[in-house]
Amino acid sequence: MHELSIVQALVDTVEAIVRQHGAQRVVRLVVEVGEMSNVIPMYLQNAFRAFREVKPFLAEAELEVRFVPLRLRCKSCGFEFQPQGYRYRCVECSSPHVQVVQGEELLLRDVELEV
Amino acid sequence: MAEIRTVRVMESLLKANDYVAQRLRQAWNQSRTFVVHLMSAPGAGKTTLLEATLPALMDRYRVGVLEGDIETERDAERIRALGIEAVQVTTGGTCHLEAPMVEQAWRLMPNDLDFLFIENVGNLVCPASFDLGEHLRVVLLSVPEGDDKPAKYPKAFRTAQVLVITKADLLEGTDFSVERARREALEIQPGLQVFVVSAKTGLGISPWTQFLEERRRQTFPNA
Repeated sequence: MHELSIVQALVDTVEAIVRQHGAQRVVRLVVEVGEMSNVIPMYLQNAFRAFREVKPFLAEAELEVRFVPLRLRCKSCGFEFQPQGYRYRCVECSSPHVQVVQGEELLLRDVELEV
Repeated sequence: MAEIRTVRVMESLLKANDYVAQRLRQAWNQSRTFVVHLMSAPGAGKTTLLEATLPALMDRYRVGVLEGDIETERDAERIRALGIEAVQVTTGGTCHLEAPMVEQAWRLMPNDLDFLFIENVGNLVCPASFDLGEHLRVVLLSVPEGDDKPAKYPKAFRTAQVLVITKADLLEGTDFSVERARREALEIQPGLQVFVVSAKTGLGISPWTQFLEERRRQTFPNA
């Protein structure tokens, strides 16, 4: 969802970092996309390809998208698990009180620059 | 000789929205404005629910409404017809409200409201991912839409605190099962408060408005 505007935000952030370090170009970007972030890695790549054509500092940059699966922790018994479908009950004790450990993020992790 | 430097950033790409949403939340906590965010598919009855809700509140509370739509001021006009201040945000194309849009509109409103209702663009998908700084997020599901929707739109139900099943006056003519919809929604979000209403007949409106008052009291105990 909205991969293009997310990549726009990404490009703006990266552009600032490029300027800050006086870099020649971006070699690689590492982005973490959570299963529950509503972002599809493939669409992100497609959108990124579009920006590569219009931003010289991205011309040869590689976008690495790391998919982070959803992981929950049961607040009742502490068990950590990957949920199936949309049911978030604890698989150990069936408690409905769970918290998200990972899988909601949309994170720019690293930027590799040629300086 | 070119050097490769790795810069560890660790920055959320949704940061901009969350930052503004937090700022809004803080401002509303200061002004004791209880903010209710309504989201649903188009036509589920958000504006109609407000038309049934606001008269019960406006004699004792200062109420304002922020309407979000792609085009037209129709919804804001309906609210103004009740004698309530409404600001319309027309996004022109964006299918959901984001915190910066809300902040901009908020500047046009009185800063001493007791209740602010934000009616999002009709959409059961994207609004779920954008914090608007609200105290209470309400998802509406209308009877004609079908009782199998929560599992199809999990994020909308998971991020809400309240589910209002609307158009209950139509239950007889459809296969909608309140029990099925409620059960499925609670599996996605066990903390959901569920209300069944008909703005048309008035069914369930009173418990809903009392709930809103109670929630405001709990959020601002000394207000």
